Amino acid sequence: MKWFPSFGFQRHKRELQEEIDAHLQMAIADRVARGETAETARQAAAREFGNIPLVQDVTREMWGQAWLEQLGRDVRYALRQLRKSPGFTIAATTMLAVAICANSTVFSWIDGTMLRPIPGARDTGELVSLQRGERNFSPTPPFSYLDYRDLREQNHTFAGILAYHHDWITLTGGAQPERAYIANVSANYFDVLGIKPVLGRFFLAEEETRPDAVPNVVLGYSLWKTRYAKDPAIVGKSIEIARHPVTVIGVVPEGFVGAMPGIREDLWVTLDPLGTDVWRMTHRSGGAVWLNVIGRLRPGVSRGQTARDLDTLMHHIVAAYPNDHLGDNRITLDPMWRSPFGANGYMAATLPILLGIAAVVLLLTCANVATLTLVRFVSRRRELAIRQSLGANRMQLVRQMVMEGAMLSTVAGVVALALTSWTSKTFAWFFPPNSNPVALNGSMDSKVVIGIAVASLLAGMLCGALPAWRSSHAPAIEVLKAESASISGGSRNRKLLSGLVVAQIALSLPLLLCSGLFLRTLRNLAGANPGFEQDHILTASVGLNIAGYSHGEEQVIRHKILDRMSALPGVEVASLTDWIPMTLGHKGEDAYPEGYVPHPHESLQVYHAEVAPRYFESLHIPILEGREFTPGDDEKAPRVLIVDETAARRYWPGQDPLGKKLMVWGSPFTVVGVARNSTHMLVNEAPEPMVYMSFFQVGYETIVQVKTEGNPADLAPAVENAIHEIDARLPVFDVRPMRESTQMANIFAVIQSALAGMFALIGLVLAVTGIYGVVAYRTQMRTHEIGVRMALGASRVDVLRLVLLQGMWLTGIGLAVGLAVALGLTRVIARLLYGIGANDPVTMVSVVMLLGAMSLLACYFPAHRAMLRNPVTAIREL
Amino acid sequence: MNEKDQYKNRIELLQGTLDMLILQTLQWGPQHGYGIVQALRLRSGDVLQVETGSLYPALHRLERQSWVQSEWKQSESKQRARYYRITAKGKKQLASDLGRWERIVEAIGSVMYVKPKESES
Repeated sequence: MKWFPSFGFQRHKRELQEEIDAHLQMAIADRVARGETAETARQAAAREFGNIPLVQDVTREMWGQAWLEQLGRDVRYALRQLRKSPGFTIAATTMLAVAICANSTVFSWIDGTMLRPIPGARDTGELVSLQRGERNFSPTPPFSYLDYRDLREQNHTFAGILAYHHDWITLTGGAQPERAYIANVSANYFDVLGIKPVLGRFFLAEEETRPDAVPNVVLGYSLWKTRYAKDPAIVGKSIEIARHPVTVIGVVPEGFVGAMPGIREDLWVTLDPLGTDVWRMTHRSGGAVWLNVIGRLRPGVSRGQTARDLDTLMHHIVAAYPNDHLGDNRITLDPMWRSPFGANGYMAATLPILLGIAAVVLLLTCANVATLTLVRFVSRRRELAIRQSLGANRMQLVRQMVMEGAMLSTVAGVVALALTSWTSKTFAWFFPPNSNPVALNGSMDSKVVIGIAVASLLAGMLCGALPAWRSSHAPAIEVLKAESASISGGSRNRKLLSGLVVAQIALSLPLLLCSGLFLRTLRNLAGANPGFEQDHILTASVGLNIAGYSHGEEQVIRHKILDRMSALPGVEVASLTDWIPMTLGHKGEDAYPEGYVPHPHESLQVYHAEVAPRYFESLHIPILEGREFTPGDDEKAPRVLIVDETAARRYWPGQDPLGKKLMVWGSPFTVVGVARNSTHMLVNEAPEPMVYMSFFQVGYETIVQVKTEGNPADLAPAVENAIHEIDARLPVFDVRPMRESTQMANIFAVIQSALAGMFALIGLVLAVTGIYGVVAYRTQMRTHEIGVRMALGASRVDVLRLVLLQGMWLTGIGLAVGLAVALGLTRVIARLLYGIGANDPVTMVSVVMLLGAMSLLACYFPAHRAMLRNPVTAIREL
Repeated sequence: MNEKDQYKNRIELLQGTLDMLILQTLQWGPQHGYGIVQALRLRSGDVLQVETGSLYPALHRLERQSWVQSEWKQSESKQRARYYRITAKGKKQLASDLGRWERIVEAIGSVMYVKPKESES
């Protein structure tokens, strides 16, 4: 029992030995007392007792641990068998470990993102995010405070409903100003999420809208740890945010980073902490629509019921305030795992498909290992037959063979577990430096461990049990008798082997096809013209709005920056903007075009950006009609805007848009130009109307954008220095070339093609080695037959053809089945493709050609070897 | 009496009766394995000879079913031995075993001593 050392069992065994010894001692003592000599008494007692080990064995069976011992025996037997063929053992374990790791890695990413949408929150399954109007990816905040409050007070379906808005801010007051992500939240924010403070308290209901002279703030755990050195007495202390003193009232527990999946919030304040946002708190449209809303369903209430409840409420709100709610106002609810707010919208579209692809890799690997196992069992059939005729029943044999598969997959599972603890953390690598506080990574918890265990169990069953059951069917007598007749292992095994090879080719074809389509999608996306210049552009964010400057100071500094940048050597054109395209973010606003009647339920939201003069020049976006902004478009001048072609065509079809008016934020803006369409968020987006407004009229954030003569990265230090020369306290961040920023738009295409490509490569290797192994094995088994054929006059070319045909026949069936499967499967990924159809004939033909050619090559080697055999020695070989 | 004769006089224990005999022996007080063998031999007038290969498995099985409990004690001859003691559950089992045994004896008896004329009818 050295495989299962257990203290209880060993003690039991010792006690039994002692008990038997005592029995013998008493028997001897009795006999001696009756007058026998010590020696004869000892012998007689031993004889009377009988076979001591047998008595021990039989007694031990009563303890109910016999099965454990039997298991130990099976394990030892399996280990001995596996040790005998280290090549097979290592190859099979490695393949299985890689395949299981592929699955568990993707699953750990799903686990870390979709399954744990809000780390630290209670029962995230009950939480839903609310969206108003048209559904789209990465929506802007959908609710005003008053609308939110009405929904909160009048709904019948939520146990709680919270609202928040977050943005960057600068922490001042310390030695070093630091940028942090701050959230304005409703007072019940932490309650609805189910978060308890580690220090202090959270907000009270009466504080929700109450401005304070010294507002309260709740700190994030990591901020508390890094900036305040885990000060246990932080509660009640005053810190400074954007040069305003605030009081710390609490600290959130470690791990909680906010309510938006994938985004890290660092600190929390109430909705209007300074009393400066009264307008925003008392209006229902325009800039007052700024809150993201999450609700917790009451127990037993479905999402559908809740949606109907909210729609009714929203209907009343729209009826009461029609002018604030033009366009589409239907409410959609999403569970947090696929909430469009934050990262999970993208995750839910990509990761499950990748997990599906990984599962195919695992199936393929199992087929490959099963092939190898079957070949091994066939070559061990004499051993198995002898053991069967010596009395082993079939169940015992199957159990031992299954044990070998189980050992392989268990070891593979353990290796995969170790690998996954590292690969789960690689998810963050995919995200280039960007302007969002992204907190995304895989997680390695009990769910992943269970997933690995299930995958290994499945793999063990598939690669061990199937071949084992098949092999054990071989009738012992026939195997022993028909030594040479069954050289190919019987027709049943031959069929199973062929089936496994066909399965491997059929499974690897869809893998290759998917990866081919993904790779071409990525190439199309990367090569697509976004409609603006990406090279020779450098951008740098200046934290003017978050550092506590007055509006007047801001405007002065902005002009200074623009002048300083234009004068920098190496800068061709300098401009300012408050938005960078293709960075997964956009600003949206309801705009009411003059003279336009919207369709029922049409969203009137437009994308907008505030840009300074020469913006279009620096990005090479042509102005098709009218003019660009000029320095004259400042706060004293009438409000102007430039629309893109989509907006112009939608709102004023067949008319001249110049001079037309748009109501935004309650004021009229006059159209002075029309710009060519360009990409806003994703290359494959449906074009949304875009309006550009004058930076010096309504600009909010400040991003410097310069067109450089040479490599933009070289100019980064000079740009940063120049800004700091104006005011050393100005926070400057996210200084990077445009090319780097826009990578964010293709990030999910990169993830899907990188993984699919890797999986397809594994699939190709497995399929090719699979067919090589089977053809080589079978050819070797037929050596004798080939020798006979050659002796009877078959030419070497005949032999080559014989072997090749056999392999190509299998390949052909595999390709046909695979193609049929692939045609069905590619529809699933059609949504993720760009510039290429799901059944793209070029990709399909090239994948089939690649797989066919590789299989032909794999069959050629054994065929060539067979061809070169000397018929005389071949015949002798049995 | 030589060993062969001794063997002839013994009766193979009926299946299932060993448990009952052990429990009955333990009714008279806690006893170790050797003591049980001796007690059964003496009481049956040397007829019942329990094989150790049956006794110890039986004792361990009875313990698993908690019909007996065991503890290590010193015997009168200062020999450390494992003493078995019947439990309340064991006594209940003994009563039911005994009932079953009596029914079997009665049934077998009525078959063996049946009157010929009754069997003819």
